[in-house]
Amino acid sequence: MIAQQKRLPVRTRIIISLCVVLVSSTIHAEPNARLGKSIYKKANCVGCHKWHGGGGGSYGGLALSLRVTPLSREALILVVRCGRPGTNMPYHVRQIYKGADRECYGSNSASLGDATPPRARYFLRDRDIEAVVDYVRNNIQGRGAPNYGDCVAFWGEEATRCKHMAQSKLNGERKRK
Amino acid sequence: MIGQKNMRQLALAMVLYSAGGALATEPDAVTTRKRLLSAASESSNWLHHHGTYNAHHFSTLSEINRFNVGELKVAWTFAIGGTEGGGIHPSAGLEATPLVEDGFMYAIDGWGVVTKLDVREGRGEFVWRMDPGTDKDWAGEVACCGVNNRGVALWDKLVLSHTLDGRLVATAKDSGENVWERQIGAPERGETITVAPLIVKDMAITGVSGGEFGIRGWLEATDLNSGERRWRRYTIAAPDEPGGDTWVDDHEAYKTGGGGTWVTGSYDGELDLIYWGVGNPGPDWDRHYRPGDNLFSNSTIAVDPDTGEIKFHFQYTPNDPFDYDGVNEHVLVDTLYKNQAQKMMLHADRNGFLYALNRVDGSFIYATPYVKRINWTSGIDPVTGRPLDYDPEAKIQNYAGVASARGKLKSDLICPGLMGGKNWMPMAYNPERGMLYIPVNESCNSTTTSPVDDDSKSIPREWFTAGGMHNPERFSGSLVAIDVSQGKMTMRIDTKYPILSGVLATAGDLVFTATPDGDVVAYDAENLKELWRFPTGSGLNAPMITYAVEEKQYIAISVGLGGTMPKWWIEAVPGLENVNPSAMIFTFSL
Repeated sequence: MIAQQKRLPVRTRIIISLCVVLVSSTIHAEPNARLGKSIYKKANCVGCHKWHGGGGGSYGGLALSLRVTPLSREALILVVRCGRPGTNMPYHVRQIYKGADRECYGSNSASLGDATPPRARYFLRDRDIEAVVDYVRNNIQGRGAPNYGDCVAFWGEEATRCKHMAQSKLNGERKRK
Repeated sequence: MIGQKNMRQLALAMVLYSAGGALATEPDAVTTRKRLLSAASESSNWLHHHGTYNAHHFSTLSEINRFNVGELKVAWTFAIGGTEGGGIHPSAGLEATPLVEDGFMYAIDGWGVVTKLDVREGRGEFVWRMDPGTDKDWAGEVACCGVNNRGVALWDKLVLSHTLDGRLVATAKDSGENVWERQIGAPERGETITVAPLIVKDMAITGVSGGEFGIRGWLEATDLNSGERRWRRYTIAAPDEPGGDTWVDDHEAYKTGGGGTWVTGSYDGELDLIYWGVGNPGPDWDRHYRPGDNLFSNSTIAVDPDTGEIKFHFQYTPNDPFDYDGVNEHVLVDTLYKNQAQKMMLHADRNGFLYALNRVDGSFIYATPYVKRINWTSGIDPVTGRPLDYDPEAKIQNYAGVASARGKLKSDLICPGLMGGKNWMPMAYNPERGMLYIPVNESCNSTTTSPVDDDSKSIPREWFTAGGMHNPERFSGSLVAIDVSQGKMTMRIDTKYPILSGVLATAGDLVFTATPDGDVVAYDAENLKELWRFPTGSGLNAPMITYAVEEKQYIAISVGLGGTMPKWWIEAVPGLENVNPSAMIFTFSL
């Protein structure tokens, strides 16, 4: 007689499946966070949006503050892929304004003319774009003024900039007392 | 005030390599004041950043000439290292002019690491490396335009160099050991240093970068015997200083008024005057925040070396809306103009005009356009030297109406663009021909102003440009020849990209320059016909020199991508994204 395998109850199977998804997403999140920050630096996001994401003027142009922007994840991905017409925000996917499918705002370079966004220096893969958008959402978006913790997270605890920030805050507190 | 007491906490990361036995027996060269004053007569050497105090970038060497330059080949190369990034820059640049003294070359990378090479045997033999341990993120975050160091200086038995994080470092020529250093720039205020020092008498003159970060610019002299400050001269006038009445706001705009001094000056030993160019006023694109002519921004200042006093000045673009730094170098020329002997200084300004001024008193001689398109003014007044569209009654200058209005409206196209008709890359003067050769950017851009509130102040280490700019067109370049005694352009050839290297002229009737995508090129000085080209395979953003060992002539250049254009404006210079950084010395000979 062939022994019959007992099946686990449905509820147990669901819980196990969820645990597998959770564990695997945690395993993938760690390298993506590092990738996201690395892309933020290498793709020159840091040049225009600054290390704290607050944007402002630079030789790259007038950049949006990523700290206050209400853009959703999907909208941020679109902006990184396609740039923003009429601004200096570049597009990061090769040939994206040349295609017939007009995936960027229903436009292509023929229809936008001079308003076509500039090209980025380096093009990004889909995975890179998602990683940098997630980095922005998890570390920059929706936060108030940049603080010491933000500085350390970006530059490292030993960074002169962060030590200087801590000292300035200390001096400010001493003055107020 | 930052003095010698403010030494770095960390020990200098200094690596000392001992020289080979044969080298150690050679006597140390002493760079005396006399040698620096008569550097032109030492044709086998290149003792100054600009070659000579008069910045001719000209050599009397003629073994390599226009008849044999086609045979020029690589003699030797040497990797000096140092392309790692820091701050907002993923890699360091290489913009330095090497120096050569009696068979020894001094090269420097973007982070201020000095390499000494023995070049006497027809190759570069390593002698020592001095690493000053630059704080890369601290400095690199506030360097607008790359991790750059434009070269060292020589005095007595010392090599003088700057670091991006604001120090002047003195290193012994023989051993490569640091003798002293001092903190001059303040990165906590957005100041960095990229300039090559100028040696005058027994002082090193230091200039500052950071005009886009709300600095108040200065020139500083360090006593080379004691390593202490001799004087500091602010280039932006305070209310109680001469020129202070050209800042007529009520919110102390002068304190963040810009005025960087990041191109090495020239010196006239007979007149005993230093000539130095001053950069743009800040904030770059909100001139309404800083009404008035904004002295001494966008000016040449003639400085007394002993006191730092500004003896006279000439301002090129008052109340600047365009970021037309007046920093470019001064080529000192004695020549006839309209049958009168003139002691000139020639300055190819960012604003697109080549100026000839009297260097005795700063008076105007002539100006002539050297770029293809200028639209911010219809010309220069032949008597006063002011832009024709300058309104002496106005505190806010609109010039020919192309400047941006205040408040996030894109301006018209402005020509030249903010990179200027010429940037820091030096031009060259051939005194035998009376010809000036200029490396030119042909570019235009529009600007957008984001006004600064009168109540708000610049935040230290944050950009203080009050806006940005936009490049709707590609940049190109040209090489231009000016007959100096006529004040007229006589030749122009077009180049694909702006020329971001300098120009070297020689008595071999040659004009050398280099392209940002890696080609070293030799032209006939008479007709600018291309005679020779070599592809180095990396970017070329540095001026070249020529030197000799036992009468064998070499051309040398630092090879490595640098500068601002590939980082910020790749849409204007497409193709440069395919050029990779490197840090090599290339030399060429017959």
